[in-house]
Amino acid sequence: MTTTPVPAGARRRAVIATPTRLGRAGWLAVAGVVSLMVVLVGGIVLGSVDLAPSTTVAILAKRFLGLDLGLAWAPTAEAIVIDLRLPRVLTAMVVGTGLAVAGATFQALLRNPLADPYVLGTASGAALGAAIAVLIPVRTLFLQFGLVNTLAFVGAILSVTVVYKLSRKSSLSPLTSLLLTGYAVGSLLSAGLAMAMYLSGTGLRQIFSFLLGGFDGTSWARLAVAAPLIIGGTIAILLRARALNGFLLGEEAAAHLGVDVKRERVILIALASLVTAAGVAVAGLIGFVGLVVPHFVRMLVGPNARLVLPISALFGASLLAAADVVARMLGGVPVGVVTAIIGAPFFLLLLRRARTGYEL
Amino acid sequence: MDARPSRPFLALAGLLLAVALAACSAAPAATPTATPASPVPKATPATVAPTEVSTTAPTEAPLFPVELTDDEDGSATIPAEPTKIVSLTPAATETLFALGVGDRIVGKVEDFTPYPEAAAAIPDVARFGSVDVEKIVALGADLVIAGGNNFNPPESIKQLRDLGVPVLVVFAPDVAGAQQDIELIGRAVGRPDEAAAVNASIQQAFDDVATATAGQTPVRTYYELDASSGYFGPAPDYFGTEMIKIAGGEPLTSGTNGVYQIGAEQILAFDPEVVLLGDAAYGVTPEQVAARPGWDTLTAVKNGAVRPIDDVVVTRPGPRLAEGIRALAVAINPDLVLPSPTP
Repeated sequence: MTTTPVPAGARRRAVIATPTRLGRAGWLAVAGVVSLMVVLVGGIVLGSVDLAPSTTVAILAKRFLGLDLGLAWAPTAEAIVIDLRLPRVLTAMVVGTGLAVAGATFQALLRNPLADPYVLGTASGAALGAAIAVLIPVRTLFLQFGLVNTLAFVGAILSVTVVYKLSRKSSLSPLTSLLLTGYAVGSLLSAGLAMAMYLSGTGLRQIFSFLLGGFDGTSWARLAVAAPLIIGGTIAILLRARALNGFLLGEEAAAHLGVDVKRERVILIALASLVTAAGVAVAGLIGFVGLVVPHFVRMLVGPNARLVLPISALFGASLLAAADVVARMLGGVPVGVVTAIIGAPFFLLLLRRARTGYEL
Repeated sequence: MDARPSRPFLALAGLLLAVALAACSAAPAATPTATPASPVPKATPATVAPTEVSTTAPTEAPLFPVELTDDEDGSATIPAEPTKIVSLTPAATETLFALGVGDRIVGKVEDFTPYPEAAAAIPDVARFGSVDVEKIVALGADLVIAGGNNFNPPESIKQLRDLGVPVLVVFAPDVAGAQQDIELIGRAVGRPDEAAAVNASIQQAFDDVATATAGQTPVRTYYELDASSGYFGPAPDYFGTEMIKIAGGEPLTSGTNGVYQIGAEQILAFDPEVVLLGDAAYGVTPEQVAARPGWDTLTAVKNGAVRPIDDVVVTRPGPRLAEGIRALAVAINPDLVLPSPTP
């Protein structure tokens, strides 16, 4: 046994993750998958209209497995399950995944525990874009998305780009400069948003509902556009976990470990922003998922990005989809309110109980 | 894993390429929504067109199937006379009742001042800012009347259409628009003659008011919508602004379309001769108005011309506009003599 050479990657993994942590991470991953399944079932069975769980199961079996379970249902029931609930749950999961992974990325990259997916101006850029779209009295559809979604996406990408370019002109350290530039640009955009809201008249409601986030407008077509962006971006980030681990040690240490710091930084910011922007375009500004989930996972498995990223993805998906089910059951409460109400106390509890100390 | 640093970079490039390609290929596909099928004849705004509407419906042609174009250029094909109607604006609910099809409404938007009484019993399927698409689908709705100009979330309207439910989006920026909407709804539910009759009675009321106020100097009027934090009155493009003008008033507006907040100084400088409390239903009283700092100098306060008014009747663009314009005219000028309304 000792004669077989151990691959370099495996040895390093063994150093970073001790066996107990790997065990714990394994259990956590299993828990994540299980909760994902539970939420998936719950999200399809529960809704404002009462459908028997057996009916929903029969509909799904018929549509996806071609099985006839001998139950009859109204065509409306099928439309509700297949065209409304299923794409909605899946969209919430995809967006939750993206936000949690983007949050974890920004926290590690910026070494800042308060970083979330919106930290570099994404949120205010998206919000301003959406508000401007509401003010423009044009009704168009672009890739199944309305002007609000489209301009939100554009606004988010533009503001991150501007923040990044401006931050490079500063003589401060790159991270400090990024954070402060993000804050400054965000404030400016927020002022623009306030102005747009003031001028919006009856459109105010639409702007407001975008700011609170939600999954009312989801459809298969929209999911088909957003999912490749979010999932593709997430996978690309997962593949860069090594670089992210380097950043956790500090940029200098990362450079010593052979991480091309400048390049990796740009790529990670671009990927995380892309994922965030796509999520925001679909669901509006949903807070808390991207901030809390990575911390929760880190408290349990430590800071190793190889574990934090995928497990965050699982729990981000479950949390957001569960929050959306609650929001639906409460009759259309904005999902952002629900994530905060569930997330904040839970997070406080976790902070009190935290045993695994970690620093960002 | 370590030997291929360029792979994720390629993935990113691939992603961006995919986005670009998708953007190019989808652009032409998005256009068909813009083709209007059978445009509703647009009455010229500001002039409240006389009852030409009634002549448009000779009942020889079959009423259904009918394809209608709504106020936001969406089209709806209604195959047969709808029997399960969902009304997502309070005005549409009132209109449907006025057309005699109130008993076919299976779901409505939450309404704190439902009218007529029977409307209160209809289950709510939507509320401020959100529509329960699932419930509407489950009700098997065969016609949805939705509110335009962002009254109902455009997302939900799109979702309903994608599911094959005919949706008519109505939005009345002015009185002529309200009459057009009544006509449109009349055609959608197979009651064009009834719609013409409703519009004729609205027209009668507006004509009566116009005759009674002819030649009078417009009365400077501040129509208060809300004063719980700052003062809110009509924007220039607000429905009520036109109503006040027709009713013989000179309305104080914010001066900017879409903006409803009016500074206290503007109100004092305008020196309204009449203050109408559209927010009376929320507990604002003439005594409170008189006690506001500096307001005792206003002509309206000195003359006791601060009057509560039922805002819903004045600004809900439905059949009760006939009632609303009369109430508004009398509130602005209590000495006005109007012929009694035709039943």
